[in-house]
Amino acid sequence: MKILVAVKQVASLDEDFEIRSDGKDVDSDFLIRDLNEWDDFSLEEAMRIKESATQAVEIVVVCVGPAAADEALRKCLAKGADRAMRIWDDAIEGSDSIAIARLIAAVAVREAPDMLFAGVQSADHAFASTGIATAALLKWPHAAVVAHLIYTPGAKTAVIRRELEGGVLHEMQIECPAVLTIQLGINTPRYSSLRSIKQAAAKPIEVLSLAALGVKADEVGAGGSLSRVRRMYVPEKGRAQMIEGSVTEQAARLAEIIKDLAPGDA
Amino acid sequence: MPLTMSDSESITRVLFEDFAPWAVRLFYVIGYAAIFVFLYGVYVEVRKYRRGRAASLDGRWVDRFKAMVASVLNHRTIARRDRMAGAAHRLIFYGFVLLFIGTTTITLDADILGPLFGLHFWRGDFYLWFSLVLDIAGVLLAGGLLYMMYRRGWLKLPKLDYARPDRQPADPDYDRSNYRREDWAFLWALLLIVVTGYFLEAARLVWLAARPDVWDYRWWSPAGAALAEVLRAAGVHAAAGGALRQDLWWFHGLAALLFIALIPFTKVKHIFTSAGSLMVRDLLAAQRLPRVPQEEQRVGAQFITDFTWKQLLHLDACTKCGRCHEVCPARAVGAPLSPRDVILSLREFANKTLESAVLPAAAELDVHGKGPGQVSMETLWACRTCMACVEVCPVAIEHIPIIVQMRRKLVEDGQMDPQLKKTLQTIHKTGNSFGESKRKRGAWTKSLPYPVKDARKDPVDVLWFVGDYASFDPRNQKVTQSFATLLKEAGVDYGILYDGESNAGNDVRRVGEEGLYEVLAEANIKSLSSASFKTIVTTDPHSYNTIRNEYPDFGGRYEIQHYTTLLLQLLQQGRLRVARELHARVTFHDPCHLGRFNKGYEAPREILRLLGCELIEMGRCRSNSFCCGAGGGRIWMPDSVGLDKPAHNRMREAATIPGLQVYVVSCPKDLTMFEDALKMTGNEGKFVVKELIELVREALAQEETAPAPGVAA
Repeated sequence: MKILVAVKQVASLDEDFEIRSDGKDVDSDFLIRDLNEWDDFSLEEAMRIKESATQAVEIVVVCVGPAAADEALRKCLAKGADRAMRIWDDAIEGSDSIAIARLIAAVAVREAPDMLFAGVQSADHAFASTGIATAALLKWPHAAVVAHLIYTPGAKTAVIRRELEGGVLHEMQIECPAVLTIQLGINTPRYSSLRSIKQAAAKPIEVLSLAALGVKADEVGAGGSLSRVRRMYVPEKGRAQMIEGSVTEQAARLAEIIKDLAPGDA
Repeated sequence: MPLTMSDSESITRVLFEDFAPWAVRLFYVIGYAAIFVFLYGVYVEVRKYRRGRAASLDGRWVDRFKAMVASVLNHRTIARRDRMAGAAHRLIFYGFVLLFIGTTTITLDADILGPLFGLHFWRGDFYLWFSLVLDIAGVLLAGGLLYMMYRRGWLKLPKLDYARPDRQPADPDYDRSNYRREDWAFLWALLLIVVTGYFLEAARLVWLAARPDVWDYRWWSPAGAALAEVLRAAGVHAAAGGALRQDLWWFHGLAALLFIALIPFTKVKHIFTSAGSLMVRDLLAAQRLPRVPQEEQRVGAQFITDFTWKQLLHLDACTKCGRCHEVCPARAVGAPLSPRDVILSLREFANKTLESAVLPAAAELDVHGKGPGQVSMETLWACRTCMACVEVCPVAIEHIPIIVQMRRKLVEDGQMDPQLKKTLQTIHKTGNSFGESKRKRGAWTKSLPYPVKDARKDPVDVLWFVGDYASFDPRNQKVTQSFATLLKEAGVDYGILYDGESNAGNDVRRVGEEGLYEVLAEANIKSLSSASFKTIVTTDPHSYNTIRNEYPDFGGRYEIQHYTTLLLQLLQQGRLRVARELHARVTFHDPCHLGRFNKGYEAPREILRLLGCELIEMGRCRSNSFCCGAGGGRIWMPDSVGLDKPAHNRMREAATIPGLQVYVVSCPKDLTMFEDALKMTGNEGKFVVKELIELVREALAQEETAPAPGVAA
């Protein structure tokens, strides 16, 4: 019995950040990295299943990212994951969520888990598509934004609840193995003490290359992606201005501004 | 000729006079039985302690022994802040010790030197002086006992009330009436032994009144002689006296033997355990917490056997005097914590589990929870680690390491307030509790008209360790900038670590997150080692404590001072000059980590004097200062709804000072806590809370630019 949990090391912005010179991302010097918040909840959900199970349950976490992402995996190992895997190859740089899903799906084929959990979305890029794309590639049943889960390891089906608009709960049965994207608040993630994180540093993290997964270099990276980043920028803030004077003066000024704003189309 | 002396061989007390040989033998049998029971009890207790872990004591046993004997003889720890209890205990102690020495002397004469060498010294002059001293000792003892009865029975001091804040009346271990019964039984038993001793003495005198070598010297035992006169006046004569003596002899003798036999099983054992506790005391118990050995698999204290033998001994040293209960800020505001009850709970737990012949299974040794003898997480998290309990304990019990070691287990299991959990994660991520970017740590320097050196780049004389609150809290930043200006004006060559500084970790460690503390301490030590400086100064007493007392365990040895001593030096050297005296009526709040932890009581007071302030002390000052409630990580946890707050309690105390203008603090957390408390207790507009640094700035500034102290806008 095995649960695969896909996690991501996300970035949050430091104070006074700068955009990279190519204009496509934030300069990595200004990023503070941490385990994606949603993944904290999906790992916790897996841990709960493991801890209440009568049979042995193995929890395997997988992450796509460079060596720096090991820190996120260590946190998962500290919380009790049994094994951690990191997929990386320089060719992966520039992948979109579909290309990432290809890699996770390849791991799922290799590991053959009974369940695959992912977070609803990542805190930095917020595509909310990696988990579901993985399910599509695997041709597994899937459910997004899962807020409650009843699942006994080894069972053929699981019952999930999803929150819909207006506080309506959507309860459904899903066949396993399935891909579930887990919503915040489904549980209370445990605290991983620094001591357990340090101890986790001694546990091995298996690094998988594209070759090991049988994925070709052109299936990932910008070339293997369905979307590409054009630019990343901070929009200029709009400015408001009070128009003063008599009604006539105000109207005249307003007309002037409108003319200025639409010179060609007017 | 009643008070004349004589060397006559016949002047003594004949032991077992007129006893049948079988009666003497019976007495010895009972005596040996009592000693056997005593020794068995000692064995059980020692076995209990040995079930604890090894303690890392630094040796120095001779010094430790001397210090213990001094404490016991001078009674200073018992008399502190309770002179009458100290005086009464002195009477009991010295009375008891003299009587004990007396009994030992008789044993030496009758059972050792006599039979072995035919040597008898317990006669003549020696005997007479002996009688006198022991008679006085008995009176001292009885006097002390009577006062203690008065204290328990009539004064009804709140600290002697065993009501538990950490339990509900329905809980199985709420009832402490057995303790109360034991207290009274102890006092009565000792008093009964003393009183029967005097009557026994009197009955013997009446019985042997015809013998001049007894009767003529009777006033050498004045209490006995007086009682003998009373007996004779009441019509008791030789024969009746003899019969009475026989009965009382057995009663007194058996009572005394029973008392000895019961020592290890009752509170009487404190004569050994309290002395032992004093001997193994750690003078930095709260200031320098124990490290977790690297090879340790489990963290913190989960089972009773996770405590060291020294800690188990501390548990047994408690005499329930209630001083820690009285001074605890958590207890004062109604939180479910009394340091006394933590100790007593664990002691009850240790007695139940570790005194049995076979050590129970691990499941029965878990000290966490709400069952009998267990300590709940609500209790542990209520502690501010302010050290008031450790400081006041007359028998050197070290509550703080016990509480923190239990918290370490809670942290490992994630059993803590969600906000605290978040703060710890934030500190891990950003190195500060504000969740601010590391880069912003030195941002407060930007608004200064002069640059502040980066000590990692330029060598400096003084490295200023700023700390989280002083770096990031907007109100404290003003104080921080003021201090920078003072240093600049005094021409001090100083610098800071900018983003190389992390939270010092003092409170993280006291929360029980030892792993994170190690990360912080190691990061700071690394940054410090990259800087070139002579000494460190900090405005934060918390950082001060951990860098001073705990960093050495991690290889970081520095000379560090709190800003109060540095400013005092600068004022005394004339490098800072008071332009105008403030003439304000002020009171000073001793921060826990500056005062109790590091005994920095004088410098801030001396500065206030130099500024021309009139210092009115609060009732609770110096070592008895009252915690603001923020220590031990409590600043990162929400206060319980419906409870009073320590800072409010303190503000109400300050408000009783007539005409108070400024409540002076010297700790960033204090400034935050008390400015809030000032508003919440409705004292805003009556007096103000200020940092000592701000007062110094005011006194140095010229008249026209300086804001008036006292009620500020």
